[in-house]
Amino acid sequence: MSGVDVKVETTDDAVRVILVGDVDLGNVDRVATDIHSAITNQVTAATVDLSDVGYLDSAGLRVLFELAVRLPTLQITLVLVAPPGSPARRVVDMSGLSGVATVVP
Amino acid sequence: MDGAEVDATDEAEDRLRQLRTLIDGDLANLHTDALLDELLDRVRESLHADTVAVLLLDDSGTELIATVARGLEEEVRQNVRVPVGQGFAGRVAAERQPVSVTQVDHSTVLNPLLEQKGIRSLLGVPLRLDGQVLGVLHVGSLGDRHFSAEDAELLQMVGDRVALALGARQSSTERSASVALQTSLVPVQLPAIPGLELAGRYVPAENGGVGGDWYDVFTLPTGHVYITMGDVVGRGLKAAVVMGRLRSTLRAYALDHLDPAQVIARVDRKLLHFESGEMATLLLAIVDPALKTMTVSLAGHPPPVVAREGEPGPARSLDLPVDPPLGVREGISRRSTTVDLAPGATVCLFTDGLVERRDVPIEARLDQLRAVVTADRPDAVCGRVMRSLIGVDPPGDDVALLAFRRLSDRQFRDLHMVVPAQASELSRIRAGVRRWLTAAGATNDDIADLQVAIGEACSNVIEHAYGPRAGTIDLHLTRVESDEVVVTVRDRGTWRSARGHNRGRGLRLIEGFCDEHRVEAGPGGTTLTMRRRIGAGRDDAAGGPAGAGDGGDGHDGGGTGLGTGGEGAGGG
Repeated sequence: MSGVDVKVETTDDAVRVILVGDVDLGNVDRVATDIHSAITNQVTAATVDLSDVGYLDSAGLRVLFELAVRLPTLQITLVLVAPPGSPARRVVDMSGLSGVATVVP
Repeated sequence: MDGAEVDATDEAEDRLRQLRTLIDGDLANLHTDALLDELLDRVRESLHADTVAVLLLDDSGTELIATVARGLEEEVRQNVRVPVGQGFAGRVAAERQPVSVTQVDHSTVLNPLLEQKGIRSLLGVPLRLDGQVLGVLHVGSLGDRHFSAEDAELLQMVGDRVALALGARQSSTERSASVALQTSLVPVQLPAIPGLELAGRYVPAENGGVGGDWYDVFTLPTGHVYITMGDVVGRGLKAAVVMGRLRSTLRAYALDHLDPAQVIARVDRKLLHFESGEMATLLLAIVDPALKTMTVSLAGHPPPVVAREGEPGPARSLDLPVDPPLGVREGISRRSTTVDLAPGATVCLFTDGLVERRDVPIEARLDQLRAVVTADRPDAVCGRVMRSLIGVDPPGDDVALLAFRRLSDRQFRDLHMVVPAQASELSRIRAGVRRWLTAAGATNDDIADLQVAIGEACSNVIEHAYGPRAGTIDLHLTRVESDEVVVTVRDRGTWRSARGHNRGRGLRLIEGFCDEHRVEAGPGGTTLTMRRRIGAGRDDAAGGPAGAGDGGDGHDGGGTGLGTGGEGAGGG
């Protein structure tokens, strides 16, 4: 119920998913569904932009880890955008997500 | 009551006596509904009628609705309606005097039931009270009976008694309904909002019963707090109903808009369209999640009175633009103004019933109010305001009063929240934690880190502590020394071990974002305690990925890593 917006920008064979707001246990299922439906079978590159995420916890990380493991199998590249010092970047670094996914500022 | 009927010999006089007894005597103590039933039965008997029916005028005064009947029960069950001026009952109501017909067909009656029943003659009288027609009472006969003038007189007498009983029933129903509505609409307990103290008072007008004053306080999922106070013009049940509708309309639009002027404009449009003719004043304020500012829009409502801490002299009325009340006309442009909410400042909202007195100029009353509002506990402020401005005088109008105070850092030593263990509460917890940490002098990094650590601890309780049954999260934050925060997250459940893949990351986040943590699990529940230095006292700023391990989806559940004594604790 808490506020998170999932925006999707598709260009040719690339998709950019922009999350704006807080991701927690209360809305993570909806966020996961939105991300999954945004990344269609036609795209070859997916970007998830976390720059405007104010709060991200392990419930949200779970979705990102699953994507990081699943997308290479589908031959879709994954890039996470998280500027240094942003709330999401601290959590991403702390969790070791940067070890399995490309994280850019 | 004179002695004339003592010698009554003929049948008519005998019936008259019966009815008088019926009306004045043995039914005096019956409940209204029972009285009506009894009256109808006895009327049918006394007048040798086959049917008796009572039709009541609806609120609009244009239609009669079948309400009670004998020998014609289906009329009530089918909710028969007769427009005033048409058909038999409609004619009685329009002419306001007894009407008798001996020909029952489509030319004299509207309701086909009467004809189908085989009714051959009808006698009807208006139910009058204080010069107003409440409805119609009519009797019918299946035989060739003609109702006489004497019958009409008798029936009118009963009709007058029925009208009296109905009037009493209506006003007592209305009174108890409006009291019930009002009670359900003014919050008995204001919500617990960390960092904000609240208190309210509501007193109905002494003579006219409840009116349309109300107040409401609620938080949004974003952590914003909406505070509203309003006053519907008029009183009694109708005002209370309009107030109830306004209150829920406001709540609905507030979920979608963070601007009071926009919310008011939408509520106004709804009121103008669906409750045309009603008017109300409204104050709508929204306080941001950090409680630092308040944005206010006024619709014909007096502005709040504010007292700041350490400011000498009386409190001030906020100098805000006042737009017209709700229900005036469409397309009014409305304004919101944002003002700072100083720490420790007390804000006082009220309806005009508090400051309007017939014999005292309103400015004098406002001065009196501003003199007693201080930067104090809201409950104490409300008490003082009511003592000073209401005292022992019965208020001529409803009085609603609401005071709130943003706690200063000094007053906001501890944060204590007890919330249902539900994922939907997490955002509310974050709003409270952010507010408290800001007041405690935490940096943005401190806040971001502790939000995650506390969020993980609370998510653990939500996911693992209670199973399908409901439970609560007990969260407490306090400061030791000046720069160390101690957080405890307590539940009364039993943690199960973690399930599924990708578990255990929450724990790593707690480890990474706190200086120290400890889990104590017992039969009465589990307590997680976390400590962390905040502000300049902490040298490790953004920090490296302290907990960064393989990062894969290891099956790293279980409570083994949860510091000391974490037996039975599931990882987050």
